[in-house]
Amino acid sequence: MLIVGMFYLYALSYGQNKYTLNGRVVDENKQALTGATIYVSPAAKGAFTDANGNYIIKDIVAGIYKIEISFIGYNSIVDTIDITGNKIYNAHLSESAINLQEVVVTDNYVETRKKEESLNIEIVNDDYLKQNMGGSFMNSLERLPGVTTIDIGSGQSKPVIRGLGFNRVVVVENDIKHEAQQWGADHGLEIDQYAIDNVEIIKGPASLMYGSDAMGGVIDMKNRKLPADSTYGGSVDLSGKTNNDFVGTSVSLYGRKRWFFADFRATFLDYEDYKVPTDSVDIYSYRAPLYQNHLRNTAGKEQNLHLTMGIIKTKFQSKFYISNVYSKNGFFANAHGLEPRNVDTELHDKSSRDINYPYQQVNHFKAINTSQYNFGKAKIETDFGFQRNFRQEWSQYVSHGYMPATYPTSLNANPDLELQFDKYVYSGNLKFSYKINDKAQFNSGINSDYQDNRIGGRGFIIPAFKQLNLGGYILGKYASSVKSIIQIGVRYDFGDIRAQAYSDWFSSPVVSNNDTTYQYLQRAGNINGNFSNISWSLGYNYNAEKWSFKANMGKSFRMPTAKELAANGVNYHNFSYEVGDAGLSPEVSYQLDAGLEYNSSDFAIGATPFLNYFTNYIYLNPSSEHNRLYGNGNQVFYYTQCEVLRYGAEIHAHYQLLKPLQVGIIGEYVYSEQQSGEKKGFTLPFSPPASAILNVKYQKQKIKFIENAYWSVDYKLTAPQNNIVPPEEKTDGYQVINVGLGGDVKLKNQKISVSLQVQNLLNTKYFNHTSYYRLINVPEPGRNLIMNISIPFSGKIKRK
Amino acid sequence: MSLIFAFNSCEKDKDIDNQKPVIDLSIQNAFPVSCDTLYFGETFILKVKFTDNVQLGSYSIDIHNNFDHHSHSTEVTECNLDPIKEPVNPFTLIQDYDIPVGLQEYETNLSITIPSSNSNGSFDEGDYHFFISLTDREGWSAQKGLSIKILHR
Repeated sequence: MLIVGMFYLYALSYGQNKYTLNGRVVDENKQALTGATIYVSPAAKGAFTDANGNYIIKDIVAGIYKIEISFIGYNSIVDTIDITGNKIYNAHLSESAINLQEVVVTDNYVETRKKEESLNIEIVNDDYLKQNMGGSFMNSLERLPGVTTIDIGSGQSKPVIRGLGFNRVVVVENDIKHEAQQWGADHGLEIDQYAIDNVEIIKGPASLMYGSDAMGGVIDMKNRKLPADSTYGGSVDLSGKTNNDFVGTSVSLYGRKRWFFADFRATFLDYEDYKVPTDSVDIYSYRAPLYQNHLRNTAGKEQNLHLTMGIIKTKFQSKFYISNVYSKNGFFANAHGLEPRNVDTELHDKSSRDINYPYQQVNHFKAINTSQYNFGKAKIETDFGFQRNFRQEWSQYVSHGYMPATYPTSLNANPDLELQFDKYVYSGNLKFSYKINDKAQFNSGINSDYQDNRIGGRGFIIPAFKQLNLGGYILGKYASSVKSIIQIGVRYDFGDIRAQAYSDWFSSPVVSNNDTTYQYLQRAGNINGNFSNISWSLGYNYNAEKWSFKANMGKSFRMPTAKELAANGVNYHNFSYEVGDAGLSPEVSYQLDAGLEYNSSDFAIGATPFLNYFTNYIYLNPSSEHNRLYGNGNQVFYYTQCEVLRYGAEIHAHYQLLKPLQVGIIGEYVYSEQQSGEKKGFTLPFSPPASAILNVKYQKQKIKFIENAYWSVDYKLTAPQNNIVPPEEKTDGYQVINVGLGGDVKLKNQKISVSLQVQNLLNTKYFNHTSYYRLINVPEPGRNLIMNISIPFSGKIKRK
Repeated sequence: MSLIFAFNSCEKDKDIDNQKPVIDLSIQNAFPVSCDTLYFGETFILKVKFTDNVQLGSYSIDIHNNFDHHSHSTEVTECNLDPIKEPVNPFTLIQDYDIPVGLQEYETNLSITIPSSNSNGSFDEGDYHFFISLTDREGWSAQKGLSIKILHR
């Protein structure tokens, strides 16, 4: 599949005559198709049809080429042509009967992107997400080499790329950076995995295009699918999981009439406490018995709504995306607060579907507009976004530190609201690209955003703050030969952060000169910081017939977060007391990336090594001190900066054993070491252990009545992780088997796609080093049967 | 243009402390242990042994009410708890203490006085939670939580 049609049959040599290829593209009724794509490879020349369905491609050297003609809603034509003189190639495309929601760009989009991007990337679509569906969007991507997750519970996880996560990975949805509470490990991404049709994962420093934070990489989600003209349709997705009795549905409806289209989606998910293969959990030194293997109070639900609409014209496109993602989920009740807690088991174990204290709820609203204007060689794109992330943590009021034993009613607040974060983000991007000639392209852009962060609740961890970010970049791309591309870019960023002072709402005893006075302690002072940085990147791609090579060198950076600058409070999940440092400088990292790949029709192998050096990694250092004025005498963790060296690689290989049967291997390894500071010689927190997946996949166009049938077995081997930092524990290696099968069946004329998975087939008890609950010895979920049924439907809107 | 990475692979073999310190309540005269009783207005001596493979850091003591039975003990023994009640004027103590530098083993001999009242009046007697946290110099930590009673005599 990867290499279909990539036959590079080169024309004889230079000095050849150049010819013209032209023709007309029509539909089955001989109606002209406007905007169809014609792509000739390896000449890398393309054209669109005009209003009469005509196209013309000039200056083609004599030779044999692959021609691909495609148009949304129609079956593509792929053919081989022999250019020996000027040639006419006419085509009529037939409508694709079932899946009208065809992608806009031709099928080799993935290949083209990989060949042109000098960083290593992975691209997956919605079919992949369904076949590998996990508890959350990131769980579904976890199988990809170099991608891991930090999980909390069964429905929440954070992205980690090559061992870097939190604010070191940027998540982008529809060209706007997703801004939430990335700094916290205790909640996931506010992303609806049913609403995503295309995900690109960039592994490596991508500050150049994405600005601050893109040090480890980028998760970029773009809705690329567009309905064909005069069609309507939609789909119903039904999902179920046995481990946490998950039930979910996602329904979409879309339609397009000429240049206007709209798409609506609603997703509802509900799940119980998840089950782990153990009777009790040791939370630090406390043992908490579990009722019927249920991890107490980890049930949750999610309700998401999306509306997309827009204008599609040849020279102008504008799309609006409006979405609201809401989730509510419980925390493991025994392990939240100042210390491991006794819980009212009668209340908590009465039902495994209810969500009791402690729990969190997050609402993420987004309104985004992206527009593009094409002027032949030049293209201008604009993105505008508004986001509001509203997150609350609720738990029963427990006084800690010198808080009063009962919450004073005079404060007029709900005593059970532990923490509240309210974030408003306004973003704007402007991009300009210009194709100078066949060989050279110029891109530039400006990114900006403004954030207003407010806080609430009885607890304190970070202050309220306002932040402004501005950045601009220029990037040049030059094809130095048919096979090689050089890219070079530079970027400047400026950021300003203003944090607001915060004082306790209760008084604490302060001893000075043997006198004890009760004072309202100031947790954080006013902070006024601004940061600037120049980042750059230099890349090279070489794409030969079967071999390809890429290399990239880049400097990336990250502005310190408000938490790193000004934290001063108890982290209720870690039982730690965290202290920020207003003097931190922006984190800077240099990285060298390479990728080498061999691809033939039945065999492929590739490796993507990297070497990375941070001059001043911001590290939350567990000290030997204790805090006496808040919490319960918790250990103090200070934000510090140190040099960090990291290296690692991913490998992948597959071999087509028989026509439908493929065997493959995916492996990943990361090593991190702090090179200076108090923890010199130690690794970084949440370091993923080395792992490999051995895979067998059987895929056939048709087995009896099942189309696109497949089954696959993943045997995942994970090495022990013995490189740890306090307060982590060493984690043993483990082996897990996951199986999947599925395909499309037709009931009369209705297509139904079914995918089934069994995760942890043998119900193995194992610990995941990068799970948030690893620290309290919660094993990973037991056997889980996951089923997803997708029913697409579509029809034609009559033309008048 | 070239970047020089100060990369020395030999360093990997260097010893890293990855062991937690230990709070030992099994020594003779250890006090308090689970289910012990302390008295308001009196002084008791904290007797605990701390050990670490490299060097001890510091420790803290936290005493707070357990009238709602929210805390449980890290010890195997179960103590008899009084019925759940609302706190009126519960006693709280949070204190951190240094351990002399350079020790692998340390036995506390700390006297702590529990006052019998504050400006709000007499402290509530009943179930309390006695929490000990210990760190070593590298930031590894250990915790013990004890169920105790504090009563007026």
